[in-house]
Amino acid sequence: MQTAFDRRRINGPEESSPPVFDDDDQNTAVYASWKVGDPRRVRQPQDIRPIFLKAGLTSQANGSAYIETERTKIACAVYGPRQSKNTTYSETGRLNVEVKFAPFSCDVRKAPMRDAEDRSISVLVQQALVSSVRLELLPKSVVDIFITIIECDGMEGCVAAASVAASTALANMGVELYGLVVSCAASSVGKEIWLDPTEEEARLASGSLIFACMPALSTVTNLRQSGRMLPMDAIQGMDMCQERCADIHQIVAQALLASTEGN
Amino acid sequence: MAFKSLSKSEKAYIQASLQSNSSLRGDGRSLQEYRTISLETGVAPLANGSARLNIGKNDAEAGGGTEILAAVKLEVEDIEHGERVDQGRVTCSVSCSPAAYPLASSGGLDDLQHDYSTFLDDILSHPSITPANLGIVRGKKAWLLALDLVVLSDSGNVYDAMFMAARAAIWDTKVPRTRSVEYRAQKKQEGDMDVDEEKQSGLDTRQVKAATDFELEDYWDEGIPLVGREAWPICVTLNLLSSLHFLDATSQEEAATPLRLLLVYSVASKSTPALQGMQLLGSGEVDVAQIKKLIQDGEKHASQLLAAINLKLRDEEVRLTDKARLKFASVR
Repeated sequence: MQTAFDRRRINGPEESSPPVFDDDDQNTAVYASWKVGDPRRVRQPQDIRPIFLKAGLTSQANGSAYIETERTKIACAVYGPRQSKNTTYSETGRLNVEVKFAPFSCDVRKAPMRDAEDRSISVLVQQALVSSVRLELLPKSVVDIFITIIECDGMEGCVAAASVAASTALANMGVELYGLVVSCAASSVGKEIWLDPTEEEARLASGSLIFACMPALSTVTNLRQSGRMLPMDAIQGMDMCQERCADIHQIVAQALLASTEGN
Repeated sequence: MAFKSLSKSEKAYIQASLQSNSSLRGDGRSLQEYRTISLETGVAPLANGSARLNIGKNDAEAGGGTEILAAVKLEVEDIEHGERVDQGRVTCSVSCSPAAYPLASSGGLDDLQHDYSTFLDDILSHPSITPANLGIVRGKKAWLLALDLVVLSDSGNVYDAMFMAARAAIWDTKVPRTRSVEYRAQKKQEGDMDVDEEKQSGLDTRQVKAATDFELEDYWDEGIPLVGREAWPICVTLNLLSSLHFLDATSQEEAATPLRLLLVYSVASKSTPALQGMQLLGSGEVDVAQIKKLIQDGEKHASQLLAAINLKLRDEEVRLTDKARLKFASVR
């Protein structure tokens, strides 16, 4: 793709491609010799990757959080509620989510300019959060949520982790919420449902599911299914995700308590 | 989604009427009823397949309703090594006419366009529904099916309309027949490399292994329909209001009930429908038990919708064949 000449950066050669490494031939990937019907490797199907979550990392922002699940690392900062630059009057507040992939976050380098993929993730994270914030108490205001993806391992897992980080940051900021939003991803591989797929596992899957809910109120805030899944597999995936979300909710609550104790 | 703003009393009126004992909608429909859908295929002569679909057009007037124009263009693409050796691929894009959204800013229109495009492209370009006869020369060339939709006007339920228009355009698409061609050098080695072109014999049905290029079998032949077009997905939008759901919302109803569940089903012949996509949109409260029920209800609505649209598409095929035959007869 012809990249525009970016004056703010030192441009490399016009055409460049990622290098091919020697050990790619030896297939050191985890699922190199996997066939349909084989069990999951490294983890159990219903296990998610261990989550490290810390709130209040960015002192400059009103609220912030950092989440790390094995190879997915996401930092989130929220600013607000501040005056909306829109001249039109709006009775309820707005939630503005901006997601940015670091150029080194994926296998193939992403251009520093705003990408189409950034917006799709922003829309999904906003959908997950919009039902949880009491926006009717913030007329003419906007809450800005900035998410930076430092490393991404599996797009569905990334959206789920970003939603969790954003909700933690919102709680850290102190805006009034109906509940904490937690999110989990699942994928259907063969006849099984695997929770929290990595990039490799997502490629093996026939369909995947992103599920976000507020366990405190038992309401679902975001549900996205892509690929091909039987309706009963989707329903089974949702049940597994909901169970796991109750556990993630505990982790978020602990992280928020830890951040207040530190002060 | 349609940038329509309603006053609080209008919203309350619509919500109260829907939730009353005998649910009442503005145009007198029941909760599960669709507005009149008009569909015509073969509207774009330069495209390989096309369709124009309108939901809710007022018979008295010429316009109104949600109108979508869908067209399919086939292009030849070189296959990069690795994946999809002989399959070809589908790509989809949606553009919104500014006339459809007069209240939107240009940035808002771009965002809306982008959101529709990514939603449709994610679902329709998935390899599980890519038609099987899009390959040309195995490992080298394949058809790229570019499906483009234009939203000409939006008065609610634009997702259902887009998927229906896409299905009709795919149904109408004819893939030109191709034949593989192999180049063989001449036996005598002369100074200049004279490359001889040998066509495959019509009786030879073996795949030419060293095929490097292709040619169209018959210039005037329209082609064959896409394999697997019956399994092409369609979408049902369930608008949610507390414990009830209703179909085919007008733009006022969409503004009054912001929470909806989009369900995209694909039905291969005589098998259970598979979910090809699902998205919850808007703010509101819904729990898992409700969603499970909605998925099952959605399946029923989708099968009914599919039955109706398939009937219409077959009628359209007959009409177009008759039209072509008459045209040919009149020329002679």
